[in-house]
Amino acid sequence: MFGPATFHAAMAEVVVGSMMLASLCAIGCATATFLPGIAGGWLSSERVMVTMDKASIAGALLGLAVMPIAALSGSFAADNVVNSALLYNKFVYTGLAFGFWASFVVGRVRLGPGIWQHKSLSALQGATAAMAMLMTTMASSIGGKLVRGESLFDIMPVWLPSDSATVLSPILSAALLVVGIAALVVVIRLGPKAERISLD
Amino acid sequence: MRHRVAVLAVIALLLATGASMANPGGEGDADRDFTCGGSCHGDPALSSPSDGTISIFVDPLAFSGTATAVHVTASGMSLSGNRLLGVFLLGSANGNDDHPEDHGWGILQDPNGGTRNYVEVVVPPSGSVTLTWVMLAPEQPGIQTLLAEIHHGSTPNSNNWAYSSLTRGYVVDVQPVPENLPGFAFDWSPETRVTGDASPTEIRTRNTTSVSVQWMLEGEWVPHDAEVTGEGDQWHAMLPATIGETRIQYQVTTSNGDFSIVQPWLTVATEPAAFDGEIWGARMQSLAFGLLVMAFLLSLQARLSPWEGRPEIDHTDEVESVEAPPEPPGLEPDQDYWSRLVPSDENPGWLWDPVEEEWVADPDNPPEGDE
Repeated sequence: MFGPATFHAAMAEVVVGSMMLASLCAIGCATATFLPGIAGGWLSSERVMVTMDKASIAGALLGLAVMPIAALSGSFAADNVVNSALLYNKFVYTGLAFGFWASFVVGRVRLGPGIWQHKSLSALQGATAAMAMLMTTMASSIGGKLVRGESLFDIMPVWLPSDSATVLSPILSAALLVVGIAALVVVIRLGPKAERISLD
Repeated sequence: MRHRVAVLAVIALLLATGASMANPGGEGDADRDFTCGGSCHGDPALSSPSDGTISIFVDPLAFSGTATAVHVTASGMSLSGNRLLGVFLLGSANGNDDHPEDHGWGILQDPNGGTRNYVEVVVPPSGSVTLTWVMLAPEQPGIQTLLAEIHHGSTPNSNNWAYSSLTRGYVVDVQPVPENLPGFAFDWSPETRVTGDASPTEIRTRNTTSVSVQWMLEGEWVPHDAEVTGEGDQWHAMLPATIGETRIQYQVTTSNGDFSIVQPWLTVATEPAAFDGEIWGARMQSLAFGLLVMAFLLSLQARLSPWEGRPEIDHTDEVESVEAPPEPPGLEPDQDYWSRLVPSDENPGWLWDPVEEEWVADPDNPPEGDE
């Protein structure tokens, strides 16, 4: 048998690995949209674009499916106790990563592969993937900080706030949760209908 | 060529993972046996002797059950980038049952304010550090041995070795305690205070009729007297609150008329205020942020995506250019009206309406000055 911490480490590696693949491919697609001549046109060739598009959606779907398992096992590994700002921020960044990745997947599924043919949508997808990856690496780096006392972000120029946490009261959090659900319902049910973009 | 670059990149990534060995970030203060009972530092294939020097200063004579200070000095180590050093205080070097408590000692306070025999410290730029354990001598008189060990990394460290060094055994002769010797109660240990807490510090003693306490900030030279109240071996000393990184040290003198014993310096162990977050709050806040981000991004996607009714989808411009839309009912042009208007050579650009008896601007030949 193995403990929840070991299981969490394994699940986190699956999430980070697949999300890294997804974000690199998504950024590649977005780059090819704006700079079709880059790498001698190789990046924007149909074969590479299709491969990157499929890899990004597959990676994001796998990561998104495993993310709740990783989050739950991490919660059990911490004995379901949040005793530091670092750990609290791990939860917050995990939630943000989930939001960004879910938006990436929903956008790609609703609008289809043609999303990369529209510059504005392509930029949005690329930025969403980059932000999602940043949130994912922040959450996983905090795990490294908690367990090993160090993380790769120690030598990176980017390090989002993690030593202090903005703790909302549970009532306010619940209210925000309701607002979030309502906003999502409004966007999906009442907002303009995004339709699948046909490929040229 | 492309494949070679890819293979080289993969090899570089694989090699990069091996650059970090053992636990370069430390494992935290803990109760540990010699070399953690067989760690990277204890494995001959992974470790190497430290280039640092380590020594122990301890009074060679101690009375059973009384407090005594053990000073461990380490210097001259080639450290890793984070300058982290792990220091052990041991009763033996067997790999098991090496904790001083296994040999009858009690740890009243470790250098970091806890009660551990292994602590981690960041070595200052001077390269030398002295750590003090305040110990309670074993109850059983006899000859005791204390050892110290250090663990650290190094930069550069091409072999990824873990470095360690062990002192010789320092002998302490534990003598029976003289009758009526005043000291700390056997079961007393310094309490840990929360940052900012200025409540009195409790001190429990034995064979004591009076207590005096002096305190000073770490680095100060002149101690200050603290107000002490209490009786019957239970005392309260008024020490200032610790704030931020400040460390306060204090020294207790226990007296009973026959003896006056100056105890080792202790540190006010301070811990940050308890974190006030809780698991379900974190989960809800996390999910709420995620959903809000999702709602925002989905609305952006919908806003940016082409949808039915958009000019680029229904080609509005193209349709408008082909045929003009019919005028709304009631606003169709009146052919009779325009046919009855009479052009005038004297007033170019104007038409005369004989029915209404007024000049009307000619839409096909606007008067000069009109657009």
